[in-house]
Amino acid sequence: MRIVVGVKWVPNTQAVRFDPRTGTLIREGVPSVVNPHDLQAVELALRLKESYGGEVIALTMAPPSAREGLEHVLGMGVDLGVLITDRVFAGADTLATSYVIAKAIEKISRERGPVDLAVFGQETIDSSTAHIGAQTASWLGWPYIYYVTSVDEVGEGYVRVARYLEDRVERYELRLPAVLSVAMKTFKPRPVRLAYKLRARLEEPILVWTNRELGLDPRCVGLRGSPTRVAKITFTPEVPRKKLVYKPRDADDAVRWLVEQLLKDEKASKILRAVLGGG
Amino acid sequence: MGFSATGTPRFDVVVVGAGPAGATAAYLLARDGFRVLLVERGRGAGSKTLYGGRVYAGPLREVWPDLDREAPIHRWVRVERLSILEGERGLTLEYRTPKAYSFTAYLPDLVKWMVKKAVEAGAVFVDEVRVDSLLVEGGRVRGIRAGPDRVYADVVVDAEGVNRLLLEGAGIVEPLEAWRAPVALGVKEVIKLGEKAVTERFGLDDDRTGAAWVIMGDATGGLPGGGFIYTFKDTVSLGVVLRLGEAYREAGRPPLDSGPYALVERLRLHPLLQRLLEGGDIVEYGAHLTIEGGLAFMPDHLAYDGLVIVGDAAGFILNTGYTVRGVDYAVYSAKLAAEAIKKSLEAGDTSAENLRLYEKLVRESFIYQELEKHWAASKLMEEWGTAGKYPSIALRAASRLFEAESRHPTLWEAFLEALRASRATLLDAARVFAEVVRGL
Repeated sequence: MRIVVGVKWVPNTQAVRFDPRTGTLIREGVPSVVNPHDLQAVELALRLKESYGGEVIALTMAPPSAREGLEHVLGMGVDLGVLITDRVFAGADTLATSYVIAKAIEKISRERGPVDLAVFGQETIDSSTAHIGAQTASWLGWPYIYYVTSVDEVGEGYVRVARYLEDRVERYELRLPAVLSVAMKTFKPRPVRLAYKLRARLEEPILVWTNRELGLDPRCVGLRGSPTRVAKITFTPEVPRKKLVYKPRDADDAVRWLVEQLLKDEKASKILRAVLGGG
Repeated sequence: MGFSATGTPRFDVVVVGAGPAGATAAYLLARDGFRVLLVERGRGAGSKTLYGGRVYAGPLREVWPDLDREAPIHRWVRVERLSILEGERGLTLEYRTPKAYSFTAYLPDLVKWMVKKAVEAGAVFVDEVRVDSLLVEGGRVRGIRAGPDRVYADVVVDAEGVNRLLLEGAGIVEPLEAWRAPVALGVKEVIKLGEKAVTERFGLDDDRTGAAWVIMGDATGGLPGGGFIYTFKDTVSLGVVLRLGEAYREAGRPPLDSGPYALVERLRLHPLLQRLLEGGDIVEYGAHLTIEGGLAFMPDHLAYDGLVIVGDAAGFILNTGYTVRGVDYAVYSAKLAAEAIKKSLEAGDTSAENLRLYEKLVRESFIYQELEKHWAASKLMEEWGTAGKYPSIALRAASRLFEAESRHPTLWEAFLEALRASRATLLDAARVFAEVVRGL
C-alpha cells in the first residue's frame, strides 16, 4: 500500500516565548522540530508498511529549512520526502494548507500510483487546530477518522481502525482510500537508523515542489487563499504568588498552618469569617 | 559512493563524534580525497559539546586558515583575571594585553562551522545516530555498529569525547569510576546581559574584546575545584568545575545538598560578581565532564589496528589551574591523526604499527610536551590546588596588607604571617613555588 504522512516543521514551542507587546511569537534563535504528534503518524505508517508492504511518503509544506525534518523521518525509514515550498504558499491558514496537501496527494497518486492512506498527527504543537486531517479528507472526498489508536486490519479496499474514547472503544471499517489522524502518545516513534540516514544523505530521496510543479490557482493558496484572520492574542495575567513553602508534620498541622496564613490575609480572612459565621 | 555490492556501506574512514576533534579529522581527510563518514549522536553538529568558553587560536589556524575571518568568534580575550575568594573577601589580579591569543565562541556554533567545511570538502555527515560499538573482527577494528546497522572502514577515528563508551566496550580503557577517575564535573550557566552591558561591566575596551576570568579559593564551597567566567558577544558564561571524586563523596551534603548547580548560584551571588551579573537572564545551563590530569586519562596507546583516538577521548585537556585548553588540543590532535591516517591509507596498511606514527607525532608536539610539563604542577594542585592552601595564603597576605589599621607590614612580613596562619612552612612554600615555576 502507498501511504502519505503529513509532517509539519514547527518551532519548538518549549523554547518559544511571546512578545507581550505585539502578541507575536519570538522565533529568533528557536530551533525547529518535526511536530512530535506527526512522528507518531510516521510510526503508524512505517508499521503498516512492515505488515503490508508498499511505500511511505512524507509530505511537508514549509520553508526550505524543513529538509532537515524530512531527513529525520527518512532516517526512521520513510521512503520518499516531498517538500512543498514556494513563497506563494506562505501565510496559509489550515484551509489553504489542506488544499495544497490534497492537491499534492492527487499528484502523487497520478505520478507514482494510487495513494491508499493519508495519515496525520492529532494536531500540531504550534497551533493545535487539528484541522488538517479533516480538511484534507474533505478536499479529497475520502472517509476520515480521528483519534485513531490502532489499525487492526487492512484488506482489499478497506481498513479497520479503533479509537479509544473516554467511555468506550469505537471500531470502524473505512473504504480505501481514507484519511486517519492518530491519537497522541499512541505510536511511540522509533529512533533514526544509521543505514536509513546514510541513504537519505547519499541519495537525497526528497522531491521539491513549487507551484510550478503543482500549478494551483494563486487565489486558493497562501495568504490570499486564507479566510482566517488572527484578530487578537491576549495573555492570561500573571497572578502574584506568595511563594510560601511549609513542611507540615501531618494533615492537622497543614490545616492549622493554612488557616493561620489565610487569617493573616485581609481579604481571605473576611471571606473565611463570613463562611464560618463570625467566629 | 559508500555502498558496496552487498549493500553494506564502506568508507575509507569513519569518524565517531562531531565535536572539534571529529570535525577536524573529517575535514582534513575528506579534503585529501578520502571517503569519510562523520557520525554524531546528537541532533546537529556540536550539539553534545559543552565547555567554559575560550579557544586558543594558534593551533586552529594551522587547520583553518580562514578562522579569523569566517568562524563564529564572539570576542578576542585581551583581559585575563584571576580572583581568589574567601568568604566575602576577594583578591583579583588583572592582566591586559593588546595582542589576543584566544577567543570566546559558542562551541556548538564553532563545531557547526567546522562540520560545514568538512561536508563541503566531501565528508558525509550523519547526525541523530548513536554508535553502539566498534566493529572488531579478526582482532582489528573494521568499522562501527549502530543498532542493527554496520558500516565498514579502513580506519575508525574515535572522537567520542570524555565519556568513552566505545573504548570501554572494546576493552581499551577501564570504565570510569566516579570516586577516583581523573575527571571533573563542569556546571555552567549562560547569562544574557546585552552587548553594551558586557563591554561596560567587565571593563572591556570594545565589543570585540573579551575577558577570561578564573576564580580560585572559595568558588566551590571548599571543595576542590574552581570557577570561571567568559564574556561572549551579549552574554557571559559562569560556571564551576568540581573534581568528580569529591562531588561523588560529598553528594547530598552541603554545599552539594541541592546539587552541583547550587554552587553556580552561590558564585553568582558572591559580592564580587553579583553586581556584574545583576538583572541578567539565564538563557542556558548545562553540565559536562572534563578531564583533570590528561596523562592519567590517556589510553595505553593512541592507535590500534584500524583505530585512532583523538581529542578528549585521548585525554588531551590541559588544566593548569589558571588556564584550560581543550578545543585547540582536540583540533591539533586530529590534525596529527589525519597525517598518520593519510600515510597509512596511501600505504594500504592501517595496522597499529603504521597508525602509531600519530602517537609519535603527538609525543613530538606541544600537546604531549605541555601535558607532561604540567604534570608535576597538576599533582601539586591536588593538595595545594585551586581551592586549597595557596590561594588562601595569598588572600591572607592581602588582608594583612590592606586591612592594617596602624601598622603596615612589608609584603614579606605579610606573606610570612599568612604562611604561619595556614600552618605551612617556608620550606613547603619554597617547594611548591619551585615546582610551580618549573611547570609554568
